[in-house]
Amino acid sequence: MPKARSHFLILGSLVGLGGLVVLGAVVFFLGNAWFGLPVNAQAPVQPIAFPHTVHAGTEASGGVGIDCTFCHRNVDKGPTATVPSVQQCMFCHSKITGAGSASPTAETEITKLRDASAAGEPVNWIRVHRLPDHVQFVHDVHITYLMANPGKIVNVTPVINPDGTADAGQTCSTCHGDVAKMAAVQQVRALKMGDCVDCHRQNNAYTDCAACHY
Amino acid sequence: MVSTPRERKWQMVVDMDRCTGCQACVVACQVENNIPINSESHYQQGRAMQWIRIERYWEGEFPNVKARFIPFLCQQCNNAPCEPVCPVFATYHNNEGLNVQVYNRCVGTRFCANNCPYHARSFNFWEPVWPEAMRNQLNPDVTVRSRGIMEKCTFCIQRIRRAELDAKREGREVRDGDFQPACAQACPTSALVFGDSKDPASRVNEAAKSSRRFRLREELGTEPNVIYLSKVDPEARGAAGHA
Repeated sequence: MPKARSHFLILGSLVGLGGLVVLGAVVFFLGNAWFGLPVNAQAPVQPIAFPHTVHAGTEASGGVGIDCTFCHRNVDKGPTATVPSVQQCMFCHSKITGAGSASPTAETEITKLRDASAAGEPVNWIRVHRLPDHVQFVHDVHITYLMANPGKIVNVTPVINPDGTADAGQTCSTCHGDVAKMAAVQQVRALKMGDCVDCHRQNNAYTDCAACHY
Repeated sequence: MVSTPRERKWQMVVDMDRCTGCQACVVACQVENNIPINSESHYQQGRAMQWIRIERYWEGEFPNVKARFIPFLCQQCNNAPCEPVCPVFATYHNNEGLNVQVYNRCVGTRFCANNCPYHARSFNFWEPVWPEAMRNQLNPDVTVRSRGIMEKCTFCIQRIRRAELDAKREGREVRDGDFQPACAQACPTSALVFGDSKDPASRVNEAAKSSRRFRLREELGTEPNVIYLSKVDPEARGAAGHA
């Protein structure tokens, strides 16, 4: 084989191999983005290791059973659920210091919160559930619907009131999973447009693009 | 539970006799809808972003010249020429009579803007930027459009949605005057009237009955949902011998 020709073959195969690697990376990235959950959706490490199990978990499972709406105060009143301010945490934690707790980390973690409160600084929680900016989601109307139709609630068995409705705090699991059993919150449902639209179709809700995109 | 609201058709009446060309609507729109700030060079390139603009023209010969103003916004046409040309259905008509632009669907072909006889659409030729001090004034109810996206007046759909939700929370229908778009709210002379034309008692219906009524480029058959009321000009009519 002439020398120039073999050079050409080697060069060509190298370019081909490089191309394959690039193609593979592109396919992997696209597949991961398409089928996977967004960044930060899988239990990111929060600045304070806040256990929902202790706060929202049932008393039987070692929690104190606080209703979701006690801390996420706006969730059944407006579009955003809101994360409580440090002052709100201090309603309880001005007294509960974690000293003498069965959990070895409780005191260190609660001290971080009390230090933040003393310094007047907010806690920079990492957002777990995040929809793209071009989607306008409103919490309270979804909650109101599920309160009136507790049969649609999934992931937990809701406590149903005598009049056939459920309390607001019983509805959250439908999209967020059983947060009361999560030591670190993670996203359980895809929360992509197909997910929204499927549910809207099943419940005869608005499927106009401009219902959510504006 | 009823999920589809009462059938609506949003309309606006622009009374040119009241318009003083003050540009309050333009500023209000810019702020409400997170529209990027235009520079002089943007205008020179014909790439300024405006959902509502005041067109100025002159009437008469010097020295009897009169400045005339006409607010231009998306006419929300019933037969919108922008809609059939979109290859990805990013602009369509919804059941409220709105010509909707879906930002996340738009691929930026600009066919719609080229087909709009009112020059009502603006294209994001650049990634929008605001001065650092103005970041926190962005409206959280409105998507910030990125580069390569077509946009236009939405009749402040975020306010429509908000009014609908407020009404739903109170267990009633949206009432006339519950809300108005930013331009109408800012107008000091109430030249802009907005409302549901399917509501027989709405102010917009009342205003649209005027004999001064006309629509822009009606001959094109676009059936706009913005109705203009022509200028009352006693002098001009006197000169023409109608008075």
